[in-house]
Amino acid sequence: MAFSGALTLTDLNDFITPSQACIKPVEQSNPAPVHDPGAALTQIQVDSTGSYYEVSAVGRTDVDAKKLQTAEISLNDCLACSGCITSAESVLITLQSHTEVLNFLESNPILPAAAHRTPVLSIAPQSLASLAAALSSSSARPVGPAEVLARVRAFAIRVLGFEHVFDTTFARHIALLEHAREFSERRSGKGKEKGVAPLPMLASACPGWVCYAEKTHAEMLPFISAAKSPQQVMGTLVKEWMGAKWGRTPDQIYHVTVMPCYDKKLEASREDFCNDTYATRDVDCVITTGELDLLMREKGWDLSAPIPEELSPPSPSLNPLAIPELLAHPGSSSGSYLHSLIAALVASSQTPLTHTVRTLRNSDYEEHTVMDESGATVFRGARCYGFRNLQNLVRKVGREAGLQVGRGAAGRVGALRRARKAGPESEQEKGYDYVEVMACPGGCVNGGGQLRPMLGQEGAALESLPATEDGLEVQAPSAKWGDRAWTKKVEEAYWGAPPTPPPTPPPEVIGLEEREEEKRRRADRLAVELLYEMCSPGQDPPGDAAWDVHMGERADEMRRRLFRTQYRAVEGEVVGLAVKW
Amino acid sequence: MEEDLPYNVQLVTQLEGHDDRAWHVAWNPARPILASCSADKTVRLYNYRSTTDPDTATAPLEFSLNTTIPTGHAKTVRAVAWSPSGKTLATASFDSNIGIWAQDEDDEEGGGPQGEWECMSLLEGHETECKSIAYSSSGTLLASCSRDKTVWVWEVHPDSDFECMGVLMEHTQDVKCVAWHPHEEVRSILASASYDDTIKLYVDDPSEDWFCFTTLTGHTSTVWSLVFSPDGRYLASGSDDLTIRIWERVQEHRWECVSVLEGHDRSIYSVSWSRGKGEGHLGWLASTGGDGLILVWKISAVPTESGRDKLSHKIISRFPAAHGVSDVNSIVWCPRQGMEDVFATAGDDGAVKVWKIAQSST
Repeated sequence: MAFSGALTLTDLNDFITPSQACIKPVEQSNPAPVHDPGAALTQIQVDSTGSYYEVSAVGRTDVDAKKLQTAEISLNDCLACSGCITSAESVLITLQSHTEVLNFLESNPILPAAAHRTPVLSIAPQSLASLAAALSSSSARPVGPAEVLARVRAFAIRVLGFEHVFDTTFARHIALLEHAREFSERRSGKGKEKGVAPLPMLASACPGWVCYAEKTHAEMLPFISAAKSPQQVMGTLVKEWMGAKWGRTPDQIYHVTVMPCYDKKLEASREDFCNDTYATRDVDCVITTGELDLLMREKGWDLSAPIPEELSPPSPSLNPLAIPELLAHPGSSSGSYLHSLIAALVASSQTPLTHTVRTLRNSDYEEHTVMDESGATVFRGARCYGFRNLQNLVRKVGREAGLQVGRGAAGRVGALRRARKAGPESEQEKGYDYVEVMACPGGCVNGGGQLRPMLGQEGAALESLPATEDGLEVQAPSAKWGDRAWTKKVEEAYWGAPPTPPPTPPPEVIGLEEREEEKRRRADRLAVELLYEMCSPGQDPPGDAAWDVHMGERADEMRRRLFRTQYRAVEGEVVGLAVKW
Repeated sequence: MEEDLPYNVQLVTQLEGHDDRAWHVAWNPARPILASCSADKTVRLYNYRSTTDPDTATAPLEFSLNTTIPTGHAKTVRAVAWSPSGKTLATASFDSNIGIWAQDEDDEEGGGPQGEWECMSLLEGHETECKSIAYSSSGTLLASCSRDKTVWVWEVHPDSDFECMGVLMEHTQDVKCVAWHPHEEVRSILASASYDDTIKLYVDDPSEDWFCFTTLTGHTSTVWSLVFSPDGRYLASGSDDLTIRIWERVQEHRWECVSVLEGHDRSIYSVSWSRGKGEGHLGWLASTGGDGLILVWKISAVPTESGRDKLSHKIISRFPAAHGVSDVNSIVWCPRQGMEDVFATAGDDGAVKVWKIAQSST
């Protein structure tokens, strides 16, 4: 029976190994002419300049050669494609790279030319930590994120000609506020009639996770927070809020971010973050920590050399908008999404609550429970990092929500079976209310765009290889354990080590030191001010207004547009190999 | 051309029924059931019993169809594996999913192994065709591999629940086969074979993170099949380079190639290693592939003066054109006591065949 019936290429796959090809369908913009039956067919020729021509098959290239539009594959096509995730990298690296930044800066006309665009650089705290860890490992004196920010700022302004340099922690502060607001909406069931979304709410700041969910787990999308990530909040702040203050329209600003992660490039190029009116993006170009490092090396900037400014607080002339810098958000080095919700919950509770943490398997999967005095669970959340834990999370959330996690027909059988089996036992454990999901093991400090440990060099990673208890000899000393030790160093640098404050503060200590508290209050206040300026111009915020203030329908609509986004499932059924021959 | 080999291969039965090529067979380790899977997306389960006359050397085995599981997989079912308890069956499909099947044990239906086979769980995660699947010897772990170049390790939880323990992205190409070391020591060893011509061995570290501790190179083409020796000291690999290599564990985490077996003239798709009958050897290795030839090798360890055993191998039986002109996709020894001389094959002709080797009469 072997070759009877339709021969499916897919079923031959056991023998051939085609690489994951791009399956972007080429749209035909020049409609094919209707031709008579029997008329000569056409063929396509490529001329010496690489242009494509449609010519008649008889070979008369001189007449009727019609130039065809070149098929172009943009980053958005890659995002919309269910095929590869990895090969998108090569596309995005060329579209958003440090050379791209240099090219822009070189070609940017000098003021007062009308075409001049204001270059702005925003750097993520995890990127600062990565640079700080690299510097500390090769110098006698540890270097902290504040010094690194001062030095990067000096480099970007003096050497590259950037006009403004920020870190993204204030944008993250706003992202966290909006996140908390959305969470309380979901929890109270508000907006349910509009189809707003169930619990658990899942973090949305990791573009790797969002991209993966859109491609392979569409059933997870309603759970993912609609709040923008810190990068995209920063984009909105720079292009809309700061731009208005500087008298610049969004297209007159060129916004570069430095991120610990390649997938942030994908995030920045999502259509939701494009401004159609001005034909510009909220973030024009994303470079990774590694690319920033390369840029500094290429320009001969020595980041290890102290500069005078780093000893004093940043001068007000550099920060006229008084944006709080390096705001610490205690909890996790990936943005503290979970902790900020728990902190808000504890702070707003009338009765004392206790917060307990349980580590499952490894430090990348923690369960957090908040209980009231009677021992009843008020909140259950988790911190879940890495691809492997992500798999288990998707299974768990799907199961608890009674969703069919899956596409195959066998899945339906299983779902039925499970529904029948689910007894009272499954009601014992309260499902999660919130999960801080990140695709990288170790979270953002271990992002793909971070600096890598210098193996063997200056003992950065090798010396911290753990000797396992049974004397296991790892043949290829690895990359992996080296990385783990290195990630720990970046984590320490992130929290401003040494000495190391515990990354996860003991539950009872959710108070911060005085200065941080003050900075935070300033950030809260500024956040509300800009919220009113942007959403309800002309109206002053009431003195006691907090971020979750209700401003009226129109203003709230505006707020949604500015600080939230949306996700769409990428149809995965266009498998190029499922062709019937 | 028949040489004077000590054993001959006898066909016990031919099991028809698959509408498309048969890919793989698996013997239930605890109950008399043989499972086969096919490109027709079904799994067929056969019961068998032998006449209980211990005096007759040629006690005939009788096979009968127990049931056909339609599976619901959207594409070819490429591999099947039984859990060591024999209660659960896993299916690996080209639709990228893994199905977990068990019998309904509802009490009102009388209990016992009577109920229908139902899909208890579906494991998703592979992006493309899942090629092979295997339970660890204690049944607590399940491994799978795929054309997406990854190997996944799942922990088996009660109530057909699974937790992903690792996604290993070590191979640079399609992963063809996964196999577990037969002894659960402190750590179980997992092996995978790939189109990238290598074999990789993995263990988990103290924090239960899986990692590759060594890569075995030597094959010059795709490695299709892996099997550990029953004593766990050796690993055999069958390859498109027409050889079988045997790798010895020379240190806890060091494996070295100690033998290269030649005898096939097309790709070797499947190898299986059983204890075999008789004493004084390391068991019987059976191999088959694109040439349709079944070879059975006796593997022995010969002590040497250096104190280290030297491996010797000898073909003890051969059977050409086992499935006519068709490729033979898998060969599996029966793991059950007293049936060490029985094996099954699955071929591109859609047939599943059960064979027995018997001593040649002189």
